[in-house]
Amino acid sequence: MDKAVKKKKLGLKQRYTTMTRDLAWETSYQDMDKVFPYDKYEGIKIHDWDKWEDPFRLTMDAYWKYQGEKDKKLYAVIDAFAQNNGQLGISDARYVNALKLFIQGVSPLEYYAHRGFAHAGRHFTGAGVRVASQMQSIDELRHYQTQAHTISHYNRHFNGMHDNIKWFDRMWYLAVPKSFFEDAFSGGPFEFLTAVSFSFEYVLTNLLFVPFMSGAAHNGDMATVTFGFSAQSDESRHMTLGIECIKFMLEQDPDNVPIVQRWIDKWFWRGYRLLTLVAMMQDYMLPKRVMSWKEAWEMYAESNGGALFKDLARYGIRPPKGWEDACEGKDHISHQAWGTFYQYSHAAAFHTWIPKADEMQWLSEKYPQSFDRHYRSRLEYWDDLAKQDDRWFNQHLPMLCQTCQIPMVFTEPGDPTKISLRETKYEGQKYHFCSDHCKEIFQHEPRKYVQAWLPVHQIYQGSCYPEDINPESPGDSPVREVLRYYGVVGGQDNGEFETSQDRHNFDGWLGKAHKPEQQTEQEANK
Amino acid sequence: MSYEMLIEPLGESIEVQEGQTILDAALRSGIYIPHACGHGLCGTCKVEVVDGEFDHGPASPFALMDFERDAGKALACCATLMDDVEIEADVEEDEDAEIIPVRDFYTRVSKIEDLTPTIKAFHLRLDTGIHFQAGQYVQVHLPGMETSRAFSIANSPQQIEATGELELNVRLLPGGEATTYMHEQLKEGDEIRISGPYGRFFVRKSAPETMLFMAGGSGLSSPRSMIEDLLSEGSTTPMTLIYGQRSKEELYYHDEFLRIAQEHAHFTYVPALSEPADADDWHGATGFVHEVAKQHFNDDFSGHKAYLCGPPVMIEACISTLMQGRLYERDIYTEKFLSAADASEQRSPLFKRV
Repeated sequence: MDKAVKKKKLGLKQRYTTMTRDLAWETSYQDMDKVFPYDKYEGIKIHDWDKWEDPFRLTMDAYWKYQGEKDKKLYAVIDAFAQNNGQLGISDARYVNALKLFIQGVSPLEYYAHRGFAHAGRHFTGAGVRVASQMQSIDELRHYQTQAHTISHYNRHFNGMHDNIKWFDRMWYLAVPKSFFEDAFSGGPFEFLTAVSFSFEYVLTNLLFVPFMSGAAHNGDMATVTFGFSAQSDESRHMTLGIECIKFMLEQDPDNVPIVQRWIDKWFWRGYRLLTLVAMMQDYMLPKRVMSWKEAWEMYAESNGGALFKDLARYGIRPPKGWEDACEGKDHISHQAWGTFYQYSHAAAFHTWIPKADEMQWLSEKYPQSFDRHYRSRLEYWDDLAKQDDRWFNQHLPMLCQTCQIPMVFTEPGDPTKISLRETKYEGQKYHFCSDHCKEIFQHEPRKYVQAWLPVHQIYQGSCYPEDINPESPGDSPVREVLRYYGVVGGQDNGEFETSQDRHNFDGWLGKAHKPEQQTEQEANK
Repeated sequence: MSYEMLIEPLGESIEVQEGQTILDAALRSGIYIPHACGHGLCGTCKVEVVDGEFDHGPASPFALMDFERDAGKALACCATLMDDVEIEADVEEDEDAEIIPVRDFYTRVSKIEDLTPTIKAFHLRLDTGIHFQAGQYVQVHLPGMETSRAFSIANSPQQIEATGELELNVRLLPGGEATTYMHEQLKEGDEIRISGPYGRFFVRKSAPETMLFMAGGSGLSSPRSMIEDLLSEGSTTPMTLIYGQRSKEELYYHDEFLRIAQEHAHFTYVPALSEPADADDWHGATGFVHEVAKQHFNDDFSGHKAYLCGPPVMIEACISTLMQGRLYERDIYTEKFLSAADASEQRSPLFKRV
């Protein structure tokens, strides 16, 4: 009798290949170049797609099972958080503003990443990178959903969270993350992976993720922490995709090296500018602080990034052009950004405040070179004004950088007393920038960046008013009407925290305010 | 206390200390298991424990789900052993690697030679034959010293079989306990115990590419053993040795390689001195190994397999030169080891082995 021959079990690598690349084929009815028309015009030369090494071995069938279990676990925690009124356990209602910034500015990026990777997953000629991109596309959609579900519980109790997608499309400060990602996914697939998978996910992700997630842990927000763990188990897969893409491009052809170098210069700087929002959140918005932006920068950027660029030097790649300016900025950007949001809080969708005395002390200790000398006195001055019932809100619209879209609030490298301004002319028009690096990005692709939708310009051009408004008619308040267009309730969704409804409500829930009413209730219970 | 861990599909057994993670032990033995975060959050280093007891350590419940734990999965960066185990990991199989069990050998010092003012050759008469792949190393156990020292075998398997003697070349390191002992106290007739063979630095004989050996300092041992082995086997694949020292008096085995080059047309010998003395009357290449290699190959190394051995500074310079000359990690082999600490802290995850 014949005995069935026991098949040799496939190794992980072979199993992965069978379930991914082996499912791809060379098209014959149509030319491969017509089927995949977008991965050549960027100038990246690929001679052998088989040299792409799959950096991880997750197949689609395993993916569903694994992610399904993860989501079950996460939603169990979110449910428990909601049932136990977890929002009452947070350190202080000010913390919720960090979450607002996250749901407004970061979560929509997850959705953009979903779209970008879906596009890349369709348009690379190589099957290995297509599969990796498709999987990441689904990850990003899950991340957006889990974030929306995690934070929606807070939306029932706090202002400033109810319309994040509309705000992402309209509000001035959210144009910063929005333009970053639109710049990335309107490039070709290789630039997109360099921008998002490499520069953002690999070089800078820890600076985004760790401050928000450990900030959540320190401030009693277990729902967000759990979401963070769930997402983090995908992040390393995303990072290795970026690393493999960079290696692959650099090894395939020497002509790719200068193109990759330019992308690294550009996307490091764009990512760094975007992280200004995180820097501010970390130093000013967490009632219980984890570490300063400066410390995080030193740990995650200077030491880890330093090791990376040391290794990349083997390929003839040097550290990004903006590296030194970014390292110099670690003493300044969080203070400059908070100062800006404090002044323009009436036009944003979260609250701001002056740090308390012990928080000022913490800032002095963490920023011995800069806080007392350059930033403390301004905060104290504003605090005095507020105490005299004259809370300062700046009614003038700031000039924005044509590239990063951040107001011109950054200072010259080496001189924190002088605002950094650059300009250039293109086709008879003058364009303004916050730095040499943003200017250089513009100059390389001026036809792309002249199209930027700059919120301040758009307000002045009359594009940001509700349709029933004539902004020139006397008696209308432009700011009030712009807020109406944004869908933000002035004074309720924004402005000063101390006098806000959020604070009033939270104190009430904890029994810190309205004592007479509570006593009445207690008496009634007797 | 230590345990034995069998790693499939390699079929290789390594020793794991109590409290040491699977990842750390594997990396220290030169076996690369893919990993990223190094502390149980990302799940990149997932392995399957087929047999034996272990502890999951601080693996995140999201990086290692319950159903995976039930199926015997573990995160190598967190898991520690409580038993001898067998694991299946995502390691690259290397068709040129032989599985050779490590053994102890009792040897007697038969001859000590001065090769340079700081390097001596120790010829050790073996009690029994040794099977190894040219390029591998042995651990030398010296009397009175708790830890052993690693030295590459400097002669070929064929030479050892013919003479019964294994050769080690040892440089005297200032303040080095073991090398000082070997240079100053060890004498002919002494008995020492060695164990081996160890290491994954050997020639990929199945590869058709031409070979490039780059050696410097006291790093000549492995390339010498490899080249002698290849020539004895009748290999006709073209090979080049770029061998650098500071000055002529340190260029040991120079005459031997000149002779081999004369005898074998497919072997090219390129000696290089970085600081030749006037008295050296040097007419060969001048400069560091990587500089001379770049010049010799006109900055194009594609189509080679490169084997590097020497001090870390030399290795690093050679790797950069090779990569900028279009030869990449998959074709570069060195004797360098990566520890988990190296991999997660000082190094980026850009490279696995080099």
